Amino acid sequence: MGEALALLLGGDSELYGIIARTLLISGTATLIAMLAGIPLGYALARGSFPGRTVLLGMVNTGMGMPPVVVGLVVWLLLTRSGPFGAWELIYTPQAMIIAQFVIATPLVVGFTAASIQALPAQLPDLLTSLGAGRVQALWILSREARLGLLAAVMAGFGAIVSEVGASMTVGGNLRGSTRVLTTAIVTETGRGNLPVALALGCLLLALAFAVNLLLTLVQQRRTG
Amino acid sequence: MHVSVEGLRFARGGRLVLDIPSLQFVEGSTTAVFGPNGSGKTTLLRLIGGLERPTAGLVRIGDLPVNGDSASRQQVAFAFQEAVFVRGSVRRNLDLALKLRDVPAAQRTWRLTEAARECGLELLLDRAARQLSVGEAQRANLARALSLRAPVTLLDEPLSGIDRLTRVQLLDDLPRMLGTFAATTILVTHDRQEAFRLADHLVVLVDGRVHAAGPKAEVYARPPDQATAELLGYTVVHKEDCALGVPPGGWTIGGEGESFALAVERVVDMGNHLHVVGRIGRVRVDVRLRRGDTIPARGEWVTVAATSYVPVGR
Repeated sequence: MGEALALLLGGDSELYGIIARTLLISGTATLIAMLAGIPLGYALARGSFPGRTVLLGMVNTGMGMPPVVVGLVVWLLLTRSGPFGAWELIYTPQAMIIAQFVIATPLVVGFTAASIQALPAQLPDLLTSLGAGRVQALWILSREARLGLLAAVMAGFGAIVSEVGASMTVGGNLRGSTRVLTTAIVTETGRGNLPVALALGCLLLALAFAVNLLLTLVQQRRTG
Repeated sequence: MHVSVEGLRFARGGRLVLDIPSLQFVEGSTTAVFGPNGSGKTTLLRLIGGLERPTAGLVRIGDLPVNGDSASRQQVAFAFQEAVFVRGSVRRNLDLALKLRDVPAAQRTWRLTEAARECGLELLLDRAARQLSVGEAQRANLARALSLRAPVTLLDEPLSGIDRLTRVQLLDDLPRMLGTFAATTILVTHDRQEAFRLADHLVVLVDGRVHAAGPKAEVYARPPDQATAELLGYTVVHKEDCALGVPPGGWTIGGEGESFALAVERVVDMGNHLHVVGRIGRVRVDVRLRRGDTIPARGEWVTVAATSYVPVGR
């Protein structure tokens, strides 16, 4: 335990690299998942089009998708001999972002749809009749659904910052390039370097807590 | 502002729910669109408010066609049947409505205060809108629409679902509130009493078609068909070729007037007086007994007279 603390306080530059990379990869993946998932969730909640229920069912299934399976599929697509092999993305941070995006998006869509559906059904009509434009109405509705939308972001980020299967498969755990906290923990555990593994684990928890605390503060802020 | 409807048709799921060749709402008046549930009243209101697009035809407000853009929506204030609010206080909700109408901040404060005062909401302004009682919420809902001072005010069932006491108060207060804030008002109701008390014009809507439209006294004096007469509260009975509409309380046992034979089904004790319920032909008729009338027995035939009635149709 002492060794773990020393490592954390010691200012190890490789460690800081891993932390920054973890935040960058999972943060980017979460951001893209939000950009795609929130509008999609809104459409699923409010729209009436054929296949809506089937789509919602698929999303709900996707919310529980095993990351390692996602990793496998993304690996098959990106590997050198795969259909997108020419892009040379396999074993890069970009590949990890893609895999994490696929894991996070169903979560964001599902939570968004649920939170939009929980709003009073006539609220969009009210805003329209009051003269709100499309963008203005969406902005007000998002503020109304803030609790649920931030829960969506937290769920998405929480899932991918802590997953290891997909990151390992498509990232390859390359030192200095695709090694993130979770894969580093696996590596250190494998080496029998348990104090370091434990320290990294604490760090991951602390990181997840810090990010979620920030989002929770925004979520729970009282509106005047 | 004058509201007119031309060749309006609206279909939902392949079914024509509204078919109105022509209809006018007089500027500065209050019109009740009155009809049973499912007659298309709310759909008509939503079409006027620009929340639905007609399958065919046109709604005009003044000279401007309602086409769902914000210029035509600015002409209309809509109070929905269900009072919906954003989170936060009543004040925040009233303020948001005015803000969306581009009312400058300096004016918003006094306009919402004024509306709150007129609607009896002053003490509730800082309460959470979603925690109001049903009656209070309905007042806030009305205040929000009225504060906009739109040329056309649309009220969907403004008094439905609220407790009796609040309803009685609002029936008294609403005409004054409308007088202060509203120019042309169109309200939808399935309640006859509401329609008569609040409006000066009536539009009777049955199955998506206008059966009668005009000043309420005219519509009441000459219901054009049986469905309208019955909605207006008349009991419609036939005498030779004529249909007569008898208002509630328009029957006596014996006495002067058009007489009919009534098959007595039961006598109801109302506490301070008795009612005889029976049938003329197949029509159910309710006659209040006067002091001194002999109480008929079940199955007996008595002669009843319609002391006042209106002709129905033609």
